[in-house]
Amino acid sequence: MPFGRRNVFLALLAIGAIIPAFANGYQLFVGNLVTIYILLAIGLNILVGYAGQLAFANAAMFGIGAYATGLLQVHLGWPFWIAFPSGGLVAAAVGTLLALPALRMSGLYLALSTLAFAQATQWVFLHWERVTFGAGGFKTPQLSFAPLPISKPIGLYYVSLGLVVLLYVFARHVVTSRTGRAFVAVRDGEIAAESLGIDLLRYKALAFGISGFYAGIAGGLYSALLNFVAPEGYDLFQMIIHKATIVVGGMGSIAGSVIGAAIIILVLELLREVKGLQEIAFGALLVGFVLFMRGGLITVLRRYLRGWEEPLRIKGGESTETPPRAAPQPSVVDK
Amino acid sequence: MSALLLSVQDLHLSFGGVRVLQGVSFDVRRPEIRGLIGPNGAGKTTLLNAICGIYRPQQGSIRLDGTSVIGRKPSDIAQMGLGRTFQSSQLFKGMTVLENLMTGLHRQTTTGFLSAGFCLRRGRDEEARTEEEARRALHFVGMSEFADRPATALSFGQQRVVEIARTLIGDPKIVLLDEPAVGLSINRLAELDALLRRIRDQKGVTLILIEHVIRLVMDVCDRVTVLDSGRVIADGAPVAVRNDQAVIEAYLGKELRARHSAS
Repeated sequence: MPFGRRNVFLALLAIGAIIPAFANGYQLFVGNLVTIYILLAIGLNILVGYAGQLAFANAAMFGIGAYATGLLQVHLGWPFWIAFPSGGLVAAAVGTLLALPALRMSGLYLALSTLAFAQATQWVFLHWERVTFGAGGFKTPQLSFAPLPISKPIGLYYVSLGLVVLLYVFARHVVTSRTGRAFVAVRDGEIAAESLGIDLLRYKALAFGISGFYAGIAGGLYSALLNFVAPEGYDLFQMIIHKATIVVGGMGSIAGSVIGAAIIILVLELLREVKGLQEIAFGALLVGFVLFMRGGLITVLRRYLRGWEEPLRIKGGESTETPPRAAPQPSVVDK
Repeated sequence: MSALLLSVQDLHLSFGGVRVLQGVSFDVRRPEIRGLIGPNGAGKTTLLNAICGIYRPQQGSIRLDGTSVIGRKPSDIAQMGLGRTFQSSQLFKGMTVLENLMTGLHRQTTTGFLSAGFCLRRGRDEEARTEEEARRALHFVGMSEFADRPATALSFGQQRVVEIARTLIGDPKIVLLDEPAVGLSINRLAELDALLRRIRDQKGVTLILIEHVIRLVMDVCDRVTVLDSGRVIADGAPVAVRNDQAVIEAYLGKELRARHSAS
């Protein structure tokens, strides 16, 4: 499987690792943006694609991570390296609480109530001025890699890239485990899942919590990248971008999340030249995928290349390389 | 371990003003295959849903192995050793057959998301055991060659069998089967008959079988309980129940019964 997922991603990682060597400042910035949106897409896909919870609070979680990371530095004087993981944990905690309404609601109702929650967070960012500095936002302290001889953009880029690798591998392991199967069971049939002893609240809370953590970590990185946090970065349009990454990449696929995030960010940046076209082209892209490519790009890859399947278990050995379609199995005697 | 496995006493359940169950009582011993039959709307599926915790009865008691299940969550009751299958196929559509069975082992396994995510040794070992056991269960129902098929690629009858296997793999004490024979051909029916017996005899699992295919019920059940309009109207061996006046009346109506006995 020369063009299997593992080989292709390792090649992309190698390219990603040498980008700082030849990229200019803007290109490095876009590269860093891609890593941040990969984290957002993976987290959202675990919640929406795997656990089937149609939630619209990911941009709010992204904002909570960014605000928490920034405000812990500004108000309490915490160093970035403590404020940043704390921001992720704060978003994970808030996300877990969001699972409580999700126990009683599903589909459109859950979408609406999480949307309402997202609007409420916007309101808090805007109006709790004493803490959040209101509509104007605030500057975060300049991140420095002091003893190391690297500049902030390059250092932050490598930190982001490292986290992408770590959290990608983590997510892949979670979805191929008992937990991942429980998520899919909750998505495909709540009553059947319960009849097998799967606790709905527990697994919904876990999915919301994990996706909150990913969004919070992404938010912390984003605040450090921009050195600035303001409410409009975490609004409804932001949410639509997140949703687009997983629709284009493929729902229920961690690998698809990576591809979707990279493509959406690159397209948005390429279209930045032509003001006004950005929204139109972006909308057309979304409509096109919803109409003609329901499963996202990952289904196309799976159709033409070997090694992109994502079973919900650890693939055992090489014996499964050629799936034994209707191969005779002498051991079956009951037929 | 007493012989009495499930005891339902004086169960009342109504939806709004509609009284669906009106004082249902019956006991199930282990291991037996209990038939639960009755005309449409008799309250059979409602009774099943009350036992597994989806509905909460207004009055009465349900004891599983001596412990009351009323007021508990369905997932907790499942943890206590009660499995069930549904009238329509409830396989997880986004999974393969094997993954469906592995999900059936949920309550037997413990790996959390952290030890899975960080790929700890313990989690990997448990995962390997889970897969092995799922393959064994698939073999037990004679469907090994379908392991890697998507669940949706199976025929209706095959889906029912996989669903039974998915419930059995969790090592339940008792399994409630809601019309497993719907839409099965004659040959398939014979296979199901044999499978149910093997479940009772080899696994020692007690079964409660809601079924309209009376031939299967009469053939495979040790005892039959007949429900009509939310009440138990007969309870006994299949032959006795078949000749019971009240049962014939419930199924055929009074007038037909007269003709039935005249002929």
